[in-house]
Amino acid sequence: MIEFRQVTKRYDSDHTALRQVNFGLERGELAFLTGHSGAGKSTLLKLIMVMERPSAGEVIVGGQVLNTLPRRQVPYIRRHIGVVFQNHQLLFDRTVFDNVAMPLEVMGTPARDIGRRVRAALDKVGLLSKEKMNPLQLSGGEQQRVGIARAVVNKPPVLLADEPTGNLDPELSTDIMRLFADFSQVGVTVLIATHDIALINELGHRTLTLDQGRLVPGAAAAGGRHG
Amino acid sequence: MANDPRKQQSRGAKSARSPWREQAESYLNHHRKVARDSAQRLWQSPVASMMTWMVMGVALALPVALMLLLASLEGVSAGWESSARVTAYLNDSVSIEEAQALKAEVADDSRVAEVELIDRDTALTEFRASSGLEDALDYLDENPLPHTLLVTPSESSRTADGVEMLLTVIEGLEGVERVQVDLGWLQRLNAMTDLLGRAVWALALLLAAAVVLVIGNTVRLAIENRRDEILVAKLVGGTDAFVRRPFLYTGAWFGLGGGIVAWILLQISLWWLSGPVERLAGLYRSEFSLNGLTFDGVLALIIAAMLLGWLGAWVAVKRHLDDIEPGEIAGG
Repeated sequence: MIEFRQVTKRYDSDHTALRQVNFGLERGELAFLTGHSGAGKSTLLKLIMVMERPSAGEVIVGGQVLNTLPRRQVPYIRRHIGVVFQNHQLLFDRTVFDNVAMPLEVMGTPARDIGRRVRAALDKVGLLSKEKMNPLQLSGGEQQRVGIARAVVNKPPVLLADEPTGNLDPELSTDIMRLFADFSQVGVTVLIATHDIALINELGHRTLTLDQGRLVPGAAAAGGRHG
Repeated sequence: MANDPRKQQSRGAKSARSPWREQAESYLNHHRKVARDSAQRLWQSPVASMMTWMVMGVALALPVALMLLLASLEGVSAGWESSARVTAYLNDSVSIEEAQALKAEVADDSRVAEVELIDRDTALTEFRASSGLEDALDYLDENPLPHTLLVTPSESSRTADGVEMLLTVIEGLEGVERVQVDLGWLQRLNAMTDLLGRAVWALALLLAAAVVLVIGNTVRLAIENRRDEILVAKLVGGTDAFVRRPFLYTGAWFGLGGGIVAWILLQISLWWLSGPVERLAGLYRSEFSLNGLTFDGVLALIIAAMLLGWLGAWVAVKRHLDDIEPGEIAGG
C-alpha cells in the first residue's frame, strides 16, 4: 500500500531530512514511525501526502508512483489518505459536523450521503451527540477524535497520524491508539508518527525508527517480517 | 484505489442510481451553497462591504455617465445635421430659364430632398430689406446678386460625409459659380465628440483596471482571513477549483453590489441635473435632453461589474491562493 524505494529528501545542501529510506507497508498494516525530533518523521509523512517531493528515490502509494504525479492530480491522491495532526487542524468557525464533512464536500458527495457518513464517522469515535457543537467547546481528547473522524469519514485506504497523542494523557492516548488499531483491522493501512516509546511497547506493533534521516536497519527488517 | 484517481471517481459514481445526474446535481448544489455562503459573508461585515461597493460604484458610474452624455451629444449633432443646407450661387450669365433647368436637374438627384430657386431680383429685395444698405445699393447700376439654389439634402445624406459628396456633385454642374455650406461647425462638433468618445473609453479602461485592483486587494484580505480553511481544504483533497470558488463568487458579489450602486448614483445625478439641463436646452431652443440608462443598459452595467469583480478575484486568487500549500502545517 505504501512503499519507499531509496528515498532521499534534501531541503538544501546542508540539510538532508531523509537518506535512502526503504520500507513497505501492506494493506491493513499498522506501524509506528519513531525517532528523535528532527529525525525526519514529518518529512516522511509529507512525502506520502505529496506535500513534498523526494529528491531521489520513489514513493509509491497504492501502486501509484508519486514522484511524477502532476500537480493537479495531487488532490485526488489526498482523498485516499486520511491525516490526523497533533494540533488536529480543526476549524473553529463551524460545527463538529461541518468539520468532519469537509473531505466529503470537496469530493462532491451528495448532501444526504454526507449526513449519513459524517454521523457514522462521529459514531465510530464516540462523539455522535456532539455534532452540533463548536470544536472549541470540546476537550483536547475530543478534538483529537473529531480530527480522526474527519480523517476516516471518506473511508480512505491509508491513514496517517503525526503525533496524534502528543497533547493527551496516557489513558486518552491508549484510547486513541485502540481506535487506530480498529481501523487497521478493517483493512486500512495506518502509519503513526510518535515518540511515545512507552505506548509503542505497550501495543507491540511494527516500528520504523528514523535516526538522522536513516531508517535504523534492525527495526525495519524486523517489522517487515512482522506485518 | 489511489493508482488511478479518475477511475476511482467513476466507480464511485456508478454505484449511484443515475450517476450523471447525481454528479451534476451535487455539483450545482455545491455552487449554490458556495454562492450563498459568500453572499452571507459579505452581509456579515456590512460596513466593509458597503465601502467596497461604493468605491466600485463611483468608479463605474463616472465613465458610464460620460458615455450617456456623449450619446446625448451625438443626438444633438444628428438633429443639427438635418438643418444643413447647400447654397449654390450660379454664374451671372445664367438666365432665369437656365436656372430653372438647373433646379430641375439638381432636384432629380436622389440625395436631394428639396431645391429652392431664389432669383436675383428676390435676392436683392431680401438683401435690401435685411442688410440696411438700401442707400448704398441704390448707387449700383445693376443687380450684383446671382440666381441662387438652396439645396436641402435627403435624410440619408445628412451626414458630414454625405453633405460633402453632394457638394462636389453640385460644384461640378455647369453654370454653378460657387457652392457654400456651413459644415465647419458640424465637423468640429463631430471631431469633439470623437475625441470625447476616445477619452471616455480611456477613462473607462483605467477605472476598470482600478476596480479589478480594488477587488483583488479586498479578496486578498479575505484569503488571508480564511487561510486555515484553505489549508484544511487542500489537505483533505480539495482541488484548486474548489478552493478558488468561494473567492470568485465573493468577487462577483462585490461586482453586483458595485453595479447597483453605480446605477443608483447615475439615477440620482440624472434627477439632479435634469432641471437645469431642460432650462438650458430651452434657452437654445434645443431638443437636447439627458438620457438615463435603458433596462438593457442597466443589465449590461451590472453584468460588466460582476465580470470585473470576478476578474479581480481571479487575479488575487491566482497570486495568493496557489501560494498556500499545506506543507508548513506539520512541524519539522
